[in-house]
Amino acid sequence: MNATLSHLIAEYQKWTATIKIAWSKQLAYKLNFILLVIGPVLVFFFIRYNLWSAIYKIEGITTLQGYNFEQMLAYQVWVMIVGFLGLGYNGMNLAEDIRLGRISAYLIYPFGFWQFHACGFLAFESIQFLVSALTLGAVAAMHWVQLSPLPLIQGLVFCFCVALFWFQINFMIGILAFWLEETWVLRVMMVTLTQFFSGALIPLELFPDWLRQILNFLPFPYLTWVPVKVFMGQYTGDLTQAFGLILLWAGLAFACSSLLWQRGLKAYTAAGM
Amino acid sequence: MQDAIFCQNLAKYFRHYHKEPGITGSIKSFFVRNYESKAAIRDFDLQIAQGEIIGLLGPNGAGKTTLMKMFTGIIVPSAGEIQILGHLPHQRENAFRRKIALVMGQKSQLWWDIPAMDSFLLLQKYYEIPDADFKKRLGTLCELMEVEKLLKVHVRKLSLGERMKMELMASLLHQPEVVFLDEPTIGLDLVAQKNIRDFVLAWQREFRTTVILTSHYMADVDALCQRIVLVLDGCKRFDGAIREFESMLGKQKFVSVDFETPIDNRENLWAELDPNWNNDGTHVELRIPEEALRQTAMAILRDYPVSALSMEKLPIERVMNELLTNPHLLAAPR
Repeated sequence: MNATLSHLIAEYQKWTATIKIAWSKQLAYKLNFILLVIGPVLVFFFIRYNLWSAIYKIEGITTLQGYNFEQMLAYQVWVMIVGFLGLGYNGMNLAEDIRLGRISAYLIYPFGFWQFHACGFLAFESIQFLVSALTLGAVAAMHWVQLSPLPLIQGLVFCFCVALFWFQINFMIGILAFWLEETWVLRVMMVTLTQFFSGALIPLELFPDWLRQILNFLPFPYLTWVPVKVFMGQYTGDLTQAFGLILLWAGLAFACSSLLWQRGLKAYTAAGM
Repeated sequence: MQDAIFCQNLAKYFRHYHKEPGITGSIKSFFVRNYESKAAIRDFDLQIAQGEIIGLLGPNGAGKTTLMKMFTGIIVPSAGEIQILGHLPHQRENAFRRKIALVMGQKSQLWWDIPAMDSFLLLQKYYEIPDADFKKRLGTLCELMEVEKLLKVHVRKLSLGERMKMELMASLLHQPEVVFLDEPTIGLDLVAQKNIRDFVLAWQREFRTTVILTSHYMADVDALCQRIVLVLDGCKRFDGAIREFESMLGKQKFVSVDFETPIDNRENLWAELDPNWNNDGTHVELRIPEEALRQTAMAILRDYPVSALSMEKLPIERVMNELLTNPHLLAAPR
C-alpha cells in the first residue's frame, strides 16, 4: 500500500514538474506568447465581426435561421472561446521531435513521450483558460454575451473534453511522422475541415438537413457547435449523451494513437542521433 | 557478477530505397520504389563486465551508433540476443531506464529554452532522486566541472563546451550504472576535450561506472579506455586490450624528425618508413620497426641536417588509419 502511494506521489511530482517546465517554455519567448494570445482576438475583430456586420447590412436580412446580428455576434464570441479552450493546442513540435530523432531522449528518461506532451497540453490549457477568462470578461462588459453560472460551468467542462480529443488527435497526427516526412499537410486539412464542419465559421443551423444528419455520426459538431450552444444555454439535445460521445471519440483517438505509437517505435530509426 | 552488457548474434537491418537525382527521379520514386535491406549490424557478440571502460571504434557508418541505439533500447534489434544489466533494453522498463544514461555529442538532450538548472530539477523528479542526494551530487558535479555560474543561463546561450558539460552532468545526476557516451567531445577545442576526458575518468574511478565510448578522437580513447572494440561494416573486427591494439601492426615506434633545411623526400630510405611530410620538407613523421630503430635513427642523424628527433610508441591514431585503409590486416569477420 505504502509503495503504491509513494509511486503515485513520485508520478504526481513528475507531472507537476513537467507542467512547470512547459509553462516556462511557453513564457520564454514573450512576443510569441503575446501573439498567441492576441492573434485570435484580432482575427475575431477584423474578420468575423466585419464579415457578419456586412452580411446583416444587406437589405432585407435581419435574421439567418433564427440568428439576428446580436445573436450571431454572441455565437462568434463563443466560437472564439471554444477555440481557445478546446481547439487551441497544436502538436507541431511533436512531429518535429520524431523526425529529427529528438524523441530518443524521452525513450531513455523514465517518463514517457506521451506523458511529456500531455503535460505540455495541460500547461497550455491552463494558460488558455486565463486568456479565455480575460477575453470573456471584456466581451461580457461590452454586453456582447450573457454569462450565467450553470451553462458556463457545463460549457467549460465540455470544452475540456473537446480539448482532450483535440490533443489526442494532434498527437496521433504528430506520430504519423514515424512514417511520413511531413505531417503539417494533414494537420492543415484537419483544421480546415474542423473549422467548416464543426460550425466554427457558420452555425450548423445554416447547413442543409442531410449534411447535419451525416455530421451527427462524426465528432465535428461536438467540437464547436455543441459547446457554443451549451455556453449560450441553448443546447436542446441530451447533454449527458453529448458528453458521452465526445469522450468516446477522445477514447477512440487515444486507442488509435497508442496502437500507432507501438507500431511506430518498431519502425523508428532514431535518424541523426 | 552480472555482465553490464551481453549480446550474441545481434543484428539490425534497415530498409531504404534509392532515388535518382532531380525531379524525374522524384516522380519515378513516387511510383516505383526499389527497397533494399542493409545490415547495419550483423552477428555481433559482446560481453562487457561492470566497471569497464570500452572504446567502440570504427569509421562513419560502421554501425557504432546503431549499436548504441540498441543498447539503450531506442531501437529494436532485428535478430539476436541482447541484455543490459539483465534487462532487455527495447522493453524500456523504468527500472532499466534508471540504470543507464546516454550522452550524445551531436544532439542536445537538455531543454533548449530553459536554464540547465531547471532541466536538472526536472530530471531529479524523473529519476526520483531524494533532495539530499541531488544536492550533494550536483555540488560534486559543479565542482568537478566548474560550472556553478552557468546553472541559471538558458541552455541555448551556452557555448558548445559549456553545453557539453551540462549534458554530462544531466546524464550522471541519477548515478547510472552504465553510461553511453556517443562522441562526447565532438566539435570541442583541445582544452574543453581534455576537461571532459578528465572529468569522465575521475567520475568513473569514483563510482566504477561502466562506460561505453564512441569517439573519432583517438586522444579520448587513449586517455579513457582499457579495451577497444572495432566495428567495420557492421561486424566486430577486433576486441581486446588497447595495448594489444597498439601492437597489432608489429612492434613499431613513432619517430618525428625536424630538419634545419628542406629535404628531398623522394629518396629510398623514407619510402619504407610510412612517412608523413610537411609541405616544405622540414618535418617528417615515421613509423619504424623496433628492431631497426637504432640503425635507422643513426643513419638519419648521420646523413641529414637533423635539428630535433623524438621517439614514442605508435599513436593509436596511426594504427587506426592503417587498419582502416588495410582491413585485411585484421582477423576476418565471422
